[in-house]
Amino acid sequence: MTGVTVTMDFHPQPQAGEPKPWAFPAPERGSLDNGLTVLRCHRPGQQVVAVEVLLDAPLEAEPQGLDGVATIMARAFSEGTDKHSAEEFAAELERCGATLDAHADHPGVRLSLEVPVSRLPKALGLLADALRAPAFEDSEIERLVRNRLDEIPHETANPARRAAKELSKQLFPAASRMSRPRQGTEETVENIDSAAVRAFYEKHVRPATATAVVVGDLTGVDLGALLGDTLGAWTGSSAEARPVPPVTADDTGRVIIVDRPGAVQTQLLIGRVGADRHDRVWPAQVLGTYCLGGTLTSRLDRVLREEKGYTYGVRAFGQVLRSAPDGTGAAMLAISGSVDTPNTGPALDDLWKVLRTLAAEGLTDPERDVAVQNLVGVAPLKYETAAAVAGTLADQVEQHLPDDYQATLYQQLAATGTVEATAAAVSAFPMDRLVTVLVGDAATIEEPVKALGIGEVSVVAAE
Amino acid sequence: MPMGHTATIEAGSGGLTATEHRLANGLRVVLSEDHLTPVAAVCLWYDVGSRHEVKGRTGLAHLFEHLMFQGSGQVKGNGHFELVQGAGGSLNGTTSFERTNYFETMPTHQLELALWLEADRMGSLLAALDEESMENQRDVVKNERRQRYDNVPYGTAFEKLTALAYPEGHPYHHTPIGSMADLDAATLEDARAFFRTYYAPNNAVLSIVGDIDPEATLAWVEKYFGSIPGHDGKPAPRDGSLPDTIGEQLREVVEEEVPARALMAAYRLPEDGTRASDAADLALTVLGGGESSRLYNRLVRRDRTAVAAGFGLLRLAGAPSLGWLDVKTSGDVEVPVIEAAVDEELARFAEEGPTAEEMERAQAQLEREWLDRLGTVAGRADELCRYAVLFGDPQLALTAVQRVLDVTAEEVQEVAKARLRPDNRAVLVYEPIATDEDDEETAQ
Repeated sequence: MTGVTVTMDFHPQPQAGEPKPWAFPAPERGSLDNGLTVLRCHRPGQQVVAVEVLLDAPLEAEPQGLDGVATIMARAFSEGTDKHSAEEFAAELERCGATLDAHADHPGVRLSLEVPVSRLPKALGLLADALRAPAFEDSEIERLVRNRLDEIPHETANPARRAAKELSKQLFPAASRMSRPRQGTEETVENIDSAAVRAFYEKHVRPATATAVVVGDLTGVDLGALLGDTLGAWTGSSAEARPVPPVTADDTGRVIIVDRPGAVQTQLLIGRVGADRHDRVWPAQVLGTYCLGGTLTSRLDRVLREEKGYTYGVRAFGQVLRSAPDGTGAAMLAISGSVDTPNTGPALDDLWKVLRTLAAEGLTDPERDVAVQNLVGVAPLKYETAAAVAGTLADQVEQHLPDDYQATLYQQLAATGTVEATAAAVSAFPMDRLVTVLVGDAATIEEPVKALGIGEVSVVAAE
Repeated sequence: MPMGHTATIEAGSGGLTATEHRLANGLRVVLSEDHLTPVAAVCLWYDVGSRHEVKGRTGLAHLFEHLMFQGSGQVKGNGHFELVQGAGGSLNGTTSFERTNYFETMPTHQLELALWLEADRMGSLLAALDEESMENQRDVVKNERRQRYDNVPYGTAFEKLTALAYPEGHPYHHTPIGSMADLDAATLEDARAFFRTYYAPNNAVLSIVGDIDPEATLAWVEKYFGSIPGHDGKPAPRDGSLPDTIGEQLREVVEEEVPARALMAAYRLPEDGTRASDAADLALTVLGGGESSRLYNRLVRRDRTAVAAGFGLLRLAGAPSLGWLDVKTSGDVEVPVIEAAVDEELARFAEEGPTAEEMERAQAQLEREWLDRLGTVAGRADELCRYAVLFGDPQLALTAVQRVLDVTAEEVQEVAKARLRPDNRAVLVYEPIATDEDDEETAQ
């Protein structure tokens, strides 16, 4: 270094103090007379209460040719009830200072309400009306369908969304709902009308198969009475068990370039399916995946970002698609990020080198230790808000996991060794069983990518 | 030693308190105790942002922020990230027009580490800064620009609107990401000079919020930061003041490969920190916040001419704030149809003002947003720094929500009438072109 004068007093790096105990909150589980399962959790100081409602209305249940009906139904919950028109309902919710989001995914439909605790009673009333007596008025459904159709070109134009759509199409058999966009395609969404939405609602939405999770500072709130008066008024038949097909996927190593002429970057999405949370390997897989690509100091970014500057960041992750105790579930295991167009070939080459080195040499003990310290240590930060706690509790219900799953997972992570984490990471990301989707300028990137020999390369049009 | 003043619970502060202190070198320190969760947030705002950049060096403040994570006197390479994450903490930094912030949220027992790390780079960054990290982070930032702006539809809209709304030569004319040419031109010496000029304890506010022992915390702050010399080398930022209104309608039409036509506009609004800016926030919420707003009801629900329609507010203290309209059209609808409807709604609103119910809704929405922001230690730490740096008084963060609730319908109408006018906006229209055209930049 040249002539830098440092004038401050240096002190040695401080040692950590005594850790304070923290545990993932245990919810109280109960049910209402109508069969609705309720999980509640008091979080002192959290003035914005989070309510999650899970409906057993999975995408798999959508009728043939009506992909997207679950999404339209989810959105239509906030478009009017037997008491309020669509405009009035939106206005009443916002008058509570509330937000209500609803979306449909493979395991089911989820509604997420957030509201200051002072206005919880009114907001719960509105939520209950939406579930109990949604209007599904013809003209509102028509509008939602049209709106959804308008959204599709925006998604196609977004490189990350386009890559995700292609990967699903490549991985899953055409007959599987998972191969097709969650919110439907132009062809299927056009077929949706209010009769279809109502039929889907009547077949799949009922309190007996639903769960509500309520988290926040519930001091002075008689939640039992409040839920009884609101969600308790929702009625429906009991449900029969629905068979769920196992998730299967073709992860033969190959490369698909989605051509986006002139793109200044290539969006990468490299994935396959693997173990979900009911598999014993899950904690080791979480740990190994973090070491590979969980953060800026993980293996992928250490090379691709911090050494080569090819990217703003590349991440590896495991995302549960559906999880069930009988082993039929699966998680999407993937690596994603964007690299500049001219460096697409070199970046993929380095990425494969990182995988090869991991398989050959394994993770190191210090790497494993830092990962455990982070994954376990950040828990109190991560779960500071009611919404974060409610989200995880709802995930557990949706994935048929016990209520103490998250708490146990932290113990398992802490007990997972370097060897197990290495084995899990290597089998999660085997070099010859990865489907690589590249959304980018085919004319520039095709040849360099072919030269890497990471699988057969095909090019498809963006639209 | 620092001098403190007693915490008092002010009306409307939700029971939160904060104390203020100042080290001899000029570092301002704000502490706020909250023992509900065993975590502590550290937030450091440097009073430097893209408005301090000079011609030919746009993007330097943000590029420099990246260099702050590349090691310092006692911290090797990516050590800052590694140590915080290894301690179970989370961290990042961001750069805006008016400030650069750095933050760590730590488990309580690791708080001292975060203070040590922040002090090390404040006092000794230049001991580690070298050509290699400069070249590497230049490439990373250029890829950040590509990923967030250049490679996504409408990605450069904000940059274009800003350039229209603030005239050439104005400190807010360019956005923090900067231009590719300027990022290429920045030198290691530029980065060193930037650090020497702006990264001084007397140009920063440090806030520490959460499960802390104030006395021990202050002692650590004094120990680690106290010996870093302050200096008065910071030049006054260029004046950002502008007339209240633009005085004409500015317009740019962009022909690009986008999925749908779009109408965007930026309105000049009152500076942040004023009662009129809270009134403007409420006006934009009534008009374009959420799914019960006037524009949403008109364009998305009734006319069905738009797929999305809303208003956002970019609060700025050193220049007029920006009210940002964003409408994406539905199907084949043409922009003039949207524009006529927007103008009609804005004129009607200026004429009649908000209804009592609209006021109630907008205030409830903004109140929840404040509860969300103050509901985490990191959010609270950031707001305390914001009010300390931009308005000289961190306590204002704790009463901000009450000020929003105090605004009257008349004040909301007044600001709408004065500011939400066609002759006070920069308009950006997107017209899609077919694929396979060359990708030259249009316009400008």
